[in-house]
Amino acid sequence: MPIKLMAASRRRPGLTRAEYFRYIEHYHGTVARLEPFKIHKYIQNHVIDGAFGQLSDRDHKCKTQDRECVVELYFKRFPDMIATLDTHGPAPSRAAMDGQYFADEPTNILVMAEEVEIPVLNPLPKFNPGLGEPGQGAVRVMHYIKRKPEVYLQDFHRLWREAHDDAYEDSPYAQDNFRKIIANKRCKIADNDTEARKHFRMVDHPIYDLVVEITLDSIEQVGAFRQYLDHLQQTKLDFANWSESFYLYTRPVRIIDNAPVTV
Amino acid sequence: MTSIAQSAELEHYLDKSLPEWKAQKTFDQNFADTKLKAKRPDLTPEEKARPFAKYYYEPIKEADPKHYAEMDTPKDPAKAFGPEELNRLLDTKYLESYETFEIGWCHLPNGTGYIANKIFYPGVTAEMIDWWFAWHPLEDLRYRIWYPPQHAGIMLSPIDRARILDPKIPNAEKNWGVTHHVTEDCNCGMDNIEIAFRSPKDMGFDMERYNKVAATFAGGMGWQCPVDKTDFSITAPAMMAHIFYNQPGGLLHRTRFWMGYRICPDNTFECSLPPGVKVPVEAVQGLARHNVKEFTRFGEFLPRIYKELGHSMFC
Repeated sequence: MPIKLMAASRRRPGLTRAEYFRYIEHYHGTVARLEPFKIHKYIQNHVIDGAFGQLSDRDHKCKTQDRECVVELYFKRFPDMIATLDTHGPAPSRAAMDGQYFADEPTNILVMAEEVEIPVLNPLPKFNPGLGEPGQGAVRVMHYIKRKPEVYLQDFHRLWREAHDDAYEDSPYAQDNFRKIIANKRCKIADNDTEARKHFRMVDHPIYDLVVEITLDSIEQVGAFRQYLDHLQQTKLDFANWSESFYLYTRPVRIIDNAPVTV
Repeated sequence: MTSIAQSAELEHYLDKSLPEWKAQKTFDQNFADTKLKAKRPDLTPEEKARPFAKYYYEPIKEADPKHYAEMDTPKDPAKAFGPEELNRLLDTKYLESYETFEIGWCHLPNGTGYIANKIFYPGVTAEMIDWWFAWHPLEDLRYRIWYPPQHAGIMLSPIDRARILDPKIPNAEKNWGVTHHVTEDCNCGMDNIEIAFRSPKDMGFDMERYNKVAATFAGGMGWQCPVDKTDFSITAPAMMAHIFYNQPGGLLHRTRFWMGYRICPDNTFECSLPPGVKVPVEAVQGLARHNVKEFTRFGEFLPRIYKELGHSMFC
């Protein structure tokens, strides 16, 4: 069963966004392709825009601000992840040492997650469908949802699913335009993330138990997510701290992706 | 359950002032409280007033020394099996052969810890087992009376508590999908363990065979970490299977643990140890010995407490 590492980073001081994207895709991405170790798939999700907290907040309560990219490293097995990220080995990978040149590493947000796919009504667009693969799209919304500390983890997931189902049902634009939904559930094995945090040089990072990925055709359809989010945040179910949650509109960039496409 | 009993159970279910409901704590509150629970404090006046408090103070039956001694040294790993072969627990001919051992522990070739135990309970029925595993997570003291020297406390989430107390759900099914948050010492110091219970089907049993062989089941996957957790503490997964078989005069209980394995969302099993790492010997042997002690006590006191309180989740 695959396990993945999601690292949401912002650019290091002194870099423009263009410089950051050039480095992470073309320099760092090339290094990762040359030295894949046991990486099964590597997707960079370059941030186009995002929102932190909720509209009703007077000031920012979200510790996280400004993200440039969400990196997804997929591994077939947990031991493969550990072997790849081990910085104590005789020859740490060039990719492992490269982050300092583009990312503000201590502020990285790490989620070690297992994917659960949530059904959608329309995995293919009705407009100009061609021979397209269902579940694909040019934009991914990455919704980081913060659990309230008083909520048990298993209840958090159940309540999110119930709130999601209700919000989706109440959002016709989302029903028409969500091509794929993946619930990335933080795996408890992530409590042993000392090696991963050392790899990404993280300090005092906030913990997100759920990152929901929603695939859309293009940036033109992001209103579908806003419609859905409005309904989601109005839920009477009390499980999330919306002020400390955030979402990002991203463009997926395939760095290593030899895995067959699955629906 | 008679219709009168059902009606009483429903009345209790709707009465949120009862101790079974009031025991609920939030996640962060309970987590903070585990540090105190781990010290195994004296019972509070409210706990002493509970009808089952007397079981906390009675002498505990000691394990048979020969049975306990089986956990002194590791057994042959060639006679152990991984969770992928879980359905071997439905093959009593194999289990009783020389091809495997039924009481003992070892490391599997991938470094995970394997524990096997077998114990017969005279006068115990599957209904008692089903009732106990649903009844005891409702209050700390109910868990403590099971094995007072090493059981410190237990908690459910609000949704899980509602499921356990729901009179429409049979006792055998109440724990399906429910997580017990326990604080206990398995001979390596006090740990917090989240045990997510599963139905036998979701565990991976071949249900056609299961229904012919097994009387009942309690098992799933747990995540264990020290109560005094530091940044370098390990949160360790383990799979657990308690399976019970009807036999003349009582119930036979087989236990298997696979320490270091986790169950993935697609219900496959994965060894989750870093490369080259073995589950520490102290952890495997510690849990094996704890298992012998707690279930020796269990088999002796269950018929007594069931006779007194087994008619309801509420007391």
